[in-house]
Amino acid sequence: MIAAVATLVAGVVLGYLGQRSRMCFVGGIRDFILVRDGYLLRGLVAFGITAWLAFPLMTAIGAAGVGPFAAPDLTTIILTACGGFGVGYVSTLANGCPFRQHVLAAQGIVSSVTYVAGFFAGAVIFHLWAAPLLLRLLP
Amino acid sequence: MATVIDAVTPARTDHRRVRVTATMTGIAGALMAVVAGSLFDVRPPDAYGICMACHARDLVNWTINAAAGSELTVAPASLVVPVLTPIGVLLGALLAARTSREFRWQQPDHPVKTFIYGIVVMNCALLAGGCSIRLLLRTGAGEPLGIMGFGALGAGVALATVWLRWKATR
Repeated sequence: MIAAVATLVAGVVLGYLGQRSRMCFVGGIRDFILVRDGYLLRGLVAFGITAWLAFPLMTAIGAAGVGPFAAPDLTTIILTACGGFGVGYVSTLANGCPFRQHVLAAQGIVSSVTYVAGFFAGAVIFHLWAAPLLLRLLP
Repeated sequence: MATVIDAVTPARTDHRRVRVTATMTGIAGALMAVVAGSLFDVRPPDAYGICMACHARDLVNWTINAAAGSELTVAPASLVVPVLTPIGVLLGALLAARTSREFRWQQPDHPVKTFIYGIVVMNCALLAGGCSIRLLLRTGAGEPLGIMGFGALGAGVALATVWLRWKATR
């Protein structure tokens, strides 16, 4: 129950800040390549550096830390790379990362509402068809 | 090309008058993600504090499981009650849009295309073990797979951007 409340609160705060700042987690790279604009890229870098500093800090104060991480096998590496590439490529075509699409949907952009509907449907499709098919095809 | 420019223009022009910057959002988002995972039981798996894809998957699958008695996959953090990040983001953004008078319904250009984009991105994100936010969070946690996933994401964004620019200028 505590996780549900914590994520709801974090989501509300992040959604509010994301709408006010136009934050997008693929838009930073896209804007920098396209028009050399670093505004969104600074947000991306700030997120990464803050997480990098905060994880050891949490461990230092006695909270639950992360890791150690097991060495991944080749199949997992390939699947992760393919998935990450797909997220980046298609999110750029779709005009924003999943977080940005949720924010735009809440602003009344119906294209983003249909994206979010497809996003939710995609979870069911993945577990009913895509994942079993992959498991059958992979060694 | 018009689509790309439309997407870029608001970020380039509006950030001069909005008080909340992307840097502030990035710092606040990372702190909340780490604290949620470390202090508020949003784990396992590790570095699970905020993820639009995994948390949406948990919410949808948990709801279907509860309603239909099915056994679709949810993360251990969502076994009893699902994580609610997507609902929170929608509510927070709606609140911000309403208070800044930026909420207005806009009809879609290609609703079927964006619906399919949503399906594809969710499937790719679940394959990679997270959306762009969680891949970056896993990178910050020092997880090798997260670093590889985020590197591949960057390559995907770069290639798609170059392709869109080439398509617009040919």
